[in-house]
Amino acid sequence: MSTFRIPGKGRVDSTKPVQFLFNGKTYAGFEGDTVASALLASGVHLVGRSFKYHRPRGILSAGSEEPNALLGIDHGPGRVEPNTRATVIEISPGLKTISQNHWPSLERDVGAINDVLYMLFSAGFYYKTFMWPKSFWNKVYEPIIRGTAGLGKSPIVPDPDIYASRFAHCDVLVVGAGPAGLAAALDAGRSGAKVLLVDEQAELGGSLLSETDAGVDGMTGWAWLKASVDELAGMSNVTLLPRTTAIGYYHQNFVGLCQRITDHLASAPEGTPRERMWKVRAKQVVLAQGAIEKPLVFDGNDRPGVMLAGSARSYLNRYGVKVGDSPVVVTSHDSAWLAAFDLARAGVKVAAIIDIRPAVPEHLTTSASALGIEVLLGWTVTGTKGRLRISSLRAKPIDGGVAQAREFACDALLMSGGWNPSLHLFSHTQGKLEWREDAQVFLPAKHIEQSRCAGAGNGNFGLAKVLAEGAEAGVAAATDAGFSGTVSAYTVSDELDMTGVSSRELPTDKNPSTAKAFVDFQNDVTAKDIRLAVREGFKSIEHIKRYTTTGMATDQGKTSNINGLAIAADAVQRQAPAVGLTTFRPPYTPTTFGAFAGYSRGGLFDVTRKTAIDAWAQERGAVFEPVALWRRAWYFPKPGEDMHAAVARECKATRDSLGIFDASTLGKIEIVGPDAAEFLNRMYTNPWSKLQPGRCRYGVLLGEDGFIRDDGVIGRLTTDRFHVTTTTGGAARVLNMMEDYLQTEFPDLKVWLTSTTEQWSVIAINGPNARNLLAPLIEGIDLSEEAFPHMSVATGRICGVPTRLFRMSFTGERGYEVNVPARYGRAIWEKLIAEGQAYGITPYGTETMHVLRAEKGYIIVGQDTDGTLTPDDAGLGWAIGKAKADFVGKRSLARPDMLKADRKQLVGLLTADPKVVLEEGAQIVLDPNQSVPMKMVGHVTSSYWSVSLGRSIALAVIEGGNARMGETVHIPMPDGTLRAEVTGTVFVDPENTRLSA
Amino acid sequence: MLLIRCPYCEAERPEVEFTYGGQAHIARPQNPSATTDDEWRDFLYIRANPRGIHYERWRHMHGCGRFFNAVRDTVTDKFVMTYKAGLPRPDQAELEAARS
Amino acid sequence: MQTHHPLAGRALPGAQGRVSIRPVEDCTRFILRIDPQNLGAASSVWGANLPPTIGGLVSGSGRIATCIGPDEWYLIAPLTEQDAIESAFAALYATTIHSLVDVSHREVGIAVDGPDAVLALQASIAFDIAAMLVGSGCRTIIDRVQIILLREGQDSFRVEVWNSFSDHVWNLLAGICREIELGV
Repeated sequence: MSTFRIPGKGRVDSTKPVQFLFNGKTYAGFEGDTVASALLASGVHLVGRSFKYHRPRGILSAGSEEPNALLGIDHGPGRVEPNTRATVIEISPGLKTISQNHWPSLERDVGAINDVLYMLFSAGFYYKTFMWPKSFWNKVYEPIIRGTAGLGKSPIVPDPDIYASRFAHCDVLVVGAGPAGLAAALDAGRSGAKVLLVDEQAELGGSLLSETDAGVDGMTGWAWLKASVDELAGMSNVTLLPRTTAIGYYHQNFVGLCQRITDHLASAPEGTPRERMWKVRAKQVVLAQGAIEKPLVFDGNDRPGVMLAGSARSYLNRYGVKVGDSPVVVTSHDSAWLAAFDLARAGVKVAAIIDIRPAVPEHLTTSASALGIEVLLGWTVTGTKGRLRISSLRAKPIDGGVAQAREFACDALLMSGGWNPSLHLFSHTQGKLEWREDAQVFLPAKHIEQSRCAGAGNGNFGLAKVLAEGAEAGVAAATDAGFSGTVSAYTVSDELDMTGVSSRELPTDKNPSTAKAFVDFQNDVTAKDIRLAVREGFKSIEHIKRYTTTGMATDQGKTSNINGLAIAADAVQRQAPAVGLTTFRPPYTPTTFGAFAGYSRGGLFDVTRKTAIDAWAQERGAVFEPVALWRRAWYFPKPGEDMHAAVARECKATRDSLGIFDASTLGKIEIVGPDAAEFLNRMYTNPWSKLQPGRCRYGVLLGEDGFIRDDGVIGRLTTDRFHVTTTTGGAARVLNMMEDYLQTEFPDLKVWLTSTTEQWSVIAINGPNARNLLAPLIEGIDLSEEAFPHMSVATGRICGVPTRLFRMSFTGERGYEVNVPARYGRAIWEKLIAEGQAYGITPYGTETMHVLRAEKGYIIVGQDTDGTLTPDDAGLGWAIGKAKADFVGKRSLARPDMLKADRKQLVGLLTADPKVVLEEGAQIVLDPNQSVPMKMVGHVTSSYWSVSLGRSIALAVIEGGNARMGETVHIPMPDGTLRAEVTGTVFVDPENTRLSA
Repeated sequence: MLLIRCPYCEAERPEVEFTYGGQAHIARPQNPSATTDDEWRDFLYIRANPRGIHYERWRHMHGCGRFFNAVRDTVTDKFVMTYKAGLPRPDQAELEAARS
Repeated sequence: MQTHHPLAGRALPGAQGRVSIRPVEDCTRFILRIDPQNLGAASSVWGANLPPTIGGLVSGSGRIATCIGPDEWYLIAPLTEQDAIESAFAALYATTIHSLVDVSHREVGIAVDGPDAVLALQASIAFDIAAMLVGSGCRTIIDRVQIILLREGQDSFRVEVWNSFSDHVWNLLAGICREIELGV
């Protein structure tokens, strides 16, 4: 069992043992332990190998700032997550954890050769080394480097967990539930404000969880903590969110919170989300995120067993774990002395306290003396030894000679370089920072958002000050949110006043150019690397960061940024604030993709719009294709048919007798009002005033730039009511454009627009037997050629159901589009299928629709046009109302470039070999023998096999195409150049006799 | 996600309900045919790209459906004020008032 | 002829009684566009006062009228009243121009009820649902889908969504409701 657990210490529940696996071996801990505390309780410090040099690494910290102790965790198939910090993972029964970045084992890792070759791997190593030969970069160097880079292994099967998300609104959001956050939440909560208190840890309390000396209001710190949390939990207006990390702080107090729900549980009910992303809009925010302890920078400061002194104190006081039997403390700050004292009181023999300061407050030396701890003031540490765990350190007086150096045997080295306020969220808001030269820290200064900082995160480290500032911030935030409250006063007892100095790299008598003094543990960046970067000309901290990679690891330099800045500032011989900090970016800690995706997975990944007839098509085995957000039946294969055979059959059936097509996805807009025709006159190229009710017309819509935006058939139902159709993908865009002009350019027009896309199911009936099918089913509309010619519209009934019936054609055959209210769509479709059996009615999909329309030269906007074609370019000059003074885009059609003869124009192409179907998108050249790069004069826009013609057909845009009729153009392809003749765009029935056949 | 005040709904609504509509106060010429090629080019394509105050159009597309105008600071990304379509560009005093 | 409701046969009663969703029966729906100055005339035809400000909702006798834009009202009525309403507004057009468009089949109604209805909707709607007035309505976005949201009671909401988006919204809300029922 654990030999480093101290009975009676800590907050873990020793009545609830929990077993878990680390590298295949079972370890025991207690409920409340993290993986780190449980491993330390078993004497395990070595938990990983470093990123670049594969150096053995231990546990540096006790929180989310951990750069070293990154483990893979395994909750079962698919529930594998690399690079998770051992210091935050709670142990749960059966949890499997593995160390990373080593082979064959953690203890014996061949990659450690990199450590021996240390001098080769300095900053910019890759850039300098793999320069020659140039061709080797893509083929040799990069694949090898990529293969060896990175920490941990990505999961290879889909994540089986589900994730949730939630918007939330509150008056006061308090980030961090340490003493400052608790005090803020208490007073804000008492004012009646709606409060959200979040903390990334499993238990609320922050630094109080590790504090055993100070008392509050006559209670122990822990008793006060319990009373405070109980009071908060009892307030209905307060929501407590432990295990929840505020990951990003965005405009207008919008804060992202990632709540971890199931990872710490042995099991959870089916369907429980693993994590939930909260998107909080707070009236006021209180940032009480505390401070992060700074490591000291010296040769060998990364050996397992070297850790932050405050963290060692946390392990002792919070988890009841001593981190070693013979620790040495090295510090420039008073707080580390407390770790030594607490350990000594717990029975640990602390070998020495080494403080680089020549003098410290007397109470510290007095206590040390009483506890029998040797104190060395004005001393420094110059190196450590120990292969997989620190075994000794070398110390010497800063001003002393080599002869005075001493070797201390130790199994842990507890260091502190002082504390840095956690500025991340504040900095996400672009809040201004202020440099405190005395404390060598940046502090929050000017707030951009409605926020306040309180406690250690604001540079105040004493508990009394922290509580007072928290309470003030809580009341102030509540007040600004419209509540009123009073600031609670707290009496703090037995608190020591902590002071310290900020150290640079520790003084040493060794050659600094060979020292492995780590600044960024996770990315293996040393002080030497930063100085080298400066020597090589990098002066900006952002450049130094990228060249050395310091602060670029997943911990975002939480423990390293200030040390890196100090060393860089010294090297460039400027003050730290002049050098500045690199940009803090969300998320604060690594966050799973699942949490970001939330509900948007699987079927909810994106919207899939389906028509009322979609289910029928699915039941008939249709193959679907996505069109905008819709899925549409692409073709209806019969058993044994491939796409080519199915489309050929569908085309033939439609031209020979009768085809049926679901056109429901077409956009529809109802335009109503006395100025409806005038509005259409201004929007579309065509004239509309003289269109009679009961008739319809093909309309072309341009952008103001003169290029085709959309097209569709528009029917006039009554004098004041039009039924406009748009392309499937253009429906929302066209309505938005119409609303734009109506509201902002033509507000004088009396007309209103309503989207009716989904009011109607649209069934297109095409083929010589179309009227024969419909006539017996239609009531109230005379379908005779005279009464209802091509391009007509009428309202009536079909099978008793109201219909808007259009006579129009997108195939070149006699065609009708039956609009029925959508709830009837499927029933009418099935009725038409049943009645159409006499004519061999054949359902066809979008592919056949495309072939049939291409045979007629009918364009598809967005396929045959690309936003650079005018009506003339597309062969639609006839659709322009020449007599109209104005319409959207008209003026642009007269711009000089629009009139050039060599504009790309839509033409037909017939390949020299009729069996060859060109590739859509293939580029066209005039002279196949010119040298590469060839002059490309256009491209193929549509290309199909035409079963009607027994050969291939294509549409293309070609420079000056209209003047090239009969010319041969060339299409270079990977396996040879194809030839084609430029033709008109209508391949079938150019006289349009079939429309009324 | 920004909160945007819709001057028609007279309420702050989430950004997802809105769409951006380009620079504001660019009126379509009353008689486009009477414009020179250069004038028409300017109307079509020439837009401001200021650092700081920018007048822009938004639409409360998934709300009341109205186009309106906004003053936004391109440095801070913050809306200074919004106002109904057709109203004149706010003057300096109005901007200062909106900012305070 | 048979009708097919896009959410036919679906219901999620909510085992713990926290929140339930169910498809609303088919009904008559219109979009009315009219100059607000003529609202009185329209109210007379409708037979009840149409709410004058955006967000306003007036309901009664199986009818609901919500103002969703400065000149736009969303009208809901029993199926049987469609012809009468259309005829009445058609008669009004002669004196007072407006636009009345039948969107009965464009939309699907989803009722969201229960003490956690606010929480369920808040999962995917960005604005503050708790602050939405009882007896109000608005167009908004849920997930990435435009809807009209009506709050008919403290714990009683109605989502109106276009047919082709209704499957997405239903599945989203169903997952959220199951999550809420778990109480995590």
